[in-house]
Amino acid sequence: MKKKLTFLLAIIMIFSLAFTGCSGSGGDSGGGNGGDSGGDSGDTVKIGWIGSLTGDQAPWGKCESQTVEMLIEQTNANGGVLGGRMLELVKYDTKNDPNEAVNAVKRLVSQDKVCAILGPNASAQALAITNVLNSAHVSDIATVATNPKITVNDKGEVNPYNFRVCFTDPYQGAVAGGYAADVLKYKKAAILYDVASDYSQGFMQYFIETFEAKGGTIVAQEAFKAGDTDFRPQLTKIKEADPEVILMPYYYKEVALSANQARELGITATLMGGDGWPSDNLFEMAGKAIEGSYVVNHFDYNDPEVIPLTEMYIEKYGTTPEINCYMVHDAYGVLLAAIERAGIADSQAITDALTQVEYKGVTGTITLGEDTHDPVGKEAAIQQIKFNTEKGEYEYVFMQKYGTQE
Amino acid sequence: MSVFLQQLINGLSIGSIYALMAVGYSLVYSILNFSNFAHGGVIMLGAYFGLYALNLLSLPFMGALVVAAFAAGLVAVGLEKIAYSPLRKRNAPSLYFIISAMGASIFLENFVVATIGPTFKTYPEIFSTTPITFGAISVSRIDILMFVIAGISLAILVFIIEKTKVGLAIRACSYSARGSNLMGVNVNRIIFVIFLLGGMLAGVAGMLFGMKYTVYPQIGVITNKSFIAAVFGGLGSLPGAVVGSILLGLIETISAGYIASQYRDLIAFSLLIIVLVVKPSGLMGKITEDKA
Repeated sequence: MKKKLTFLLAIIMIFSLAFTGCSGSGGDSGGGNGGDSGGDSGDTVKIGWIGSLTGDQAPWGKCESQTVEMLIEQTNANGGVLGGRMLELVKYDTKNDPNEAVNAVKRLVSQDKVCAILGPNASAQALAITNVLNSAHVSDIATVATNPKITVNDKGEVNPYNFRVCFTDPYQGAVAGGYAADVLKYKKAAILYDVASDYSQGFMQYFIETFEAKGGTIVAQEAFKAGDTDFRPQLTKIKEADPEVILMPYYYKEVALSANQARELGITATLMGGDGWPSDNLFEMAGKAIEGSYVVNHFDYNDPEVIPLTEMYIEKYGTTPEINCYMVHDAYGVLLAAIERAGIADSQAITDALTQVEYKGVTGTITLGEDTHDPVGKEAAIQQIKFNTEKGEYEYVFMQKYGTQE
Repeated sequence: MSVFLQQLINGLSIGSIYALMAVGYSLVYSILNFSNFAHGGVIMLGAYFGLYALNLLSLPFMGALVVAAFAAGLVAVGLEKIAYSPLRKRNAPSLYFIISAMGASIFLENFVVATIGPTFKTYPEIFSTTPITFGAISVSRIDILMFVIAGISLAILVFIIEKTKVGLAIRACSYSARGSNLMGVNVNRIIFVIFLLGGMLAGVAGMLFGMKYTVYPQIGVITNKSFIAAVFGGLGSLPGAVVGSILLGLIETISAGYIASQYRDLIAFSLLIIVLVVKPSGLMGKITEDKA
């Protein structure tokens, strides 16, 4: 009896492995399992999406994937692409892990045979998938991945299959540094950064370069590791150095904790951050602590051009969309334009077309440069977090658009 | 000087959280001789229980704390019945217990992710967040509260173990389970009590952690540090777990504050390795033969 039970359990486990293998790692797949012959030559045009549906980055990844689904529904309802072919989405959860991202892309290009991929929303993952994209000749358009090396490698050559629709970290860091020195006229800055994050390090590097070039001094530079919850040792040191502004180039969870702890220790300096800050939970977790802080953002929610998309998302899903929604909308728009221009759903043709289209998206007009695969000439929006006494809540107030020479 | 005192306070406050978590580990290890990796999961659930007790049941702070403690204790006991007791009955080697514990921990974390969701939740503000300042040093009210609650919980635990009959039985089992059994101690009941106590401590630790930081399904990962602290202080010794944790908190803070913040973890764990190489049973651990 025991032996039969063991045998039965073994069979069940093997079957469950097979099923999870077909349907993707931990996330649903929009279709494309069971071994069909691949998206290009069939009736549907398959595009892939990767991002974090679980973990720290889940709010953003979930919003992004939901937006893509919504947009595909809309396109298909309006007749599809390439003269009547329907779009099909295959999505995978990367769990915010570069290894999972590589696995997901391998599956997308070999098993699901997509013609292009949207996402991911994190630099480390976008960097990791470059080799797979190169060998499979399939392009990827990253949505909010800002590390410069994703599109242009260390030798200065452009990665042929990586693209993005957002600005890069050097740009964010330079904008933050320039704004702090030129407009806010600060002379002493301190930085608390995440030593385990490409994003945080890149941001910090360019902030320092620009800030010092404009005459400022960095009085303190302290590090932590993502996952840490207590920053008071580092903040005590920063407090001692007496800066006017503290740069916090990392994600909202650590921002909330470190901002709260900084205020608890009696630090009154202004805080500054980048696109890792905005999220639904940030105000709930640390509203009082971050009041008066400045954020470098891809765009502003109050821009009239983005409102129709916002309303469409709220109507379908009932929650306010994150930045990713708008960025992936534009990535999707660029991709569709490229597909139409290429004339066929072939990944190489689409790759060639991506640098030849100009798409007017909700975050700006996007032309992907040939030698950088980055959007050319996009300005960043600087926002300040203020408490709106009428509405009784915190909000981002648009200060100005600020651009800088890199 | 005031900076040093501030860092000292930072270190003590971090250490006291580790201490509450580490004692639960030590308790289970001292009797069953295996590391209960699922302890982290119970702590995480304690944080969620406390949150729901405050929000849904609208209990006052102490009430929520008691609810969180008992609920976590029940989870720990349930865990024991499902994941460990069957193995014990078959005299399985320690390795199997560890695997089962890891499985339980992964299950708990993903269960919460799948049901409640991975987004962070914050505790409502029960205590004013304005810190108390002594000159240039500021101590948050929650820190003082945590120190006090940790102290009281540990004192109650020590009282139970040293002064009550149940405690005597627990101590007897930690020396020899079989011997105690022969002497008439109901070992199964003692194990139940131990997991209940450990779980209750975990619940308290979880709720305090959630209040001080935030609540999310991966809180269990932080408990790796408290496991290290327990080993550092000597697995099997409760005072050792407390001492080890406070020391670890202080060492972490001093390395971050005075050496280099990037190397904080590196230094803390290197010291751990050195201590274990020099004195394998930890600072205050008992020297016992491997029972596995």
